[in-house]
Amino acid sequence: MTGMSLYYLSRAVISAAFGLLFALTGSPWWVAALIGVIAFAFFLWAPHSGRYAVHPELGVTALRRDERTQGINDRSARNAFIVTMLAVAGATLYFGRYTPAVVPVSFFNYLLILGVLTYYLSDFLQRRSA
Amino acid sequence: MVLRSYLKEIRLQKGLTQESLAGVIGVTRQTIIAIEKGKFVPSVKLALELAKALGQPLEQVFWLEASQEDRS
Repeated sequence: MTGMSLYYLSRAVISAAFGLLFALTGSPWWVAALIGVIAFAFFLWAPHSGRYAVHPELGVTALRRDERTQGINDRSARNAFIVTMLAVAGATLYFGRYTPAVVPVSFFNYLLILGVLTYYLSDFLQRRSA
Repeated sequence: MVLRSYLKEIRLQKGLTQESLAGVIGVTRQTIIAIEKGKFVPSVKLALELAKALGQPLEQVFWLEASQEDRS
């Protein structure tokens, strides 16, 4: 098996496993199948997206970041970390001052979402400008 | 100082597309575009790989130019 075959085969297995995970956690079968199909569609698109350097000779790990995209990834991760930590610091001050020992659990979900959004926004803006 | 390059001119002279040059040195097409537009400064290693792929000495592909701040 040569070229990109190993990459596509491995991603088909990962997509199926991803769908199965959803099925096992109680999702309807059609939702699980849809998730698997969407995941595989992403893996089909990735080599043509321009976001990764394609090395067919590497088989399963054919997609790699090059130095520019690695730099974008590093800066996005740093930005997300800083924003999340600042939000945690702000929340610590706020809850410590006004409602000590009462921190809603859902607040941590929002912090995680904020971090993820910051990462992808930062990634998007850097790719557009460079 | 800012990095300038004749990357696009030499690439076209050699009849290479951005995609084929990117494939030769193992980077994304967007990286070639960014270098050609002067928006990304490649590492010494990548610059040497580009020069080698184009069959040119490094200084024929890249050079440093004084920026406005350097002049004033």
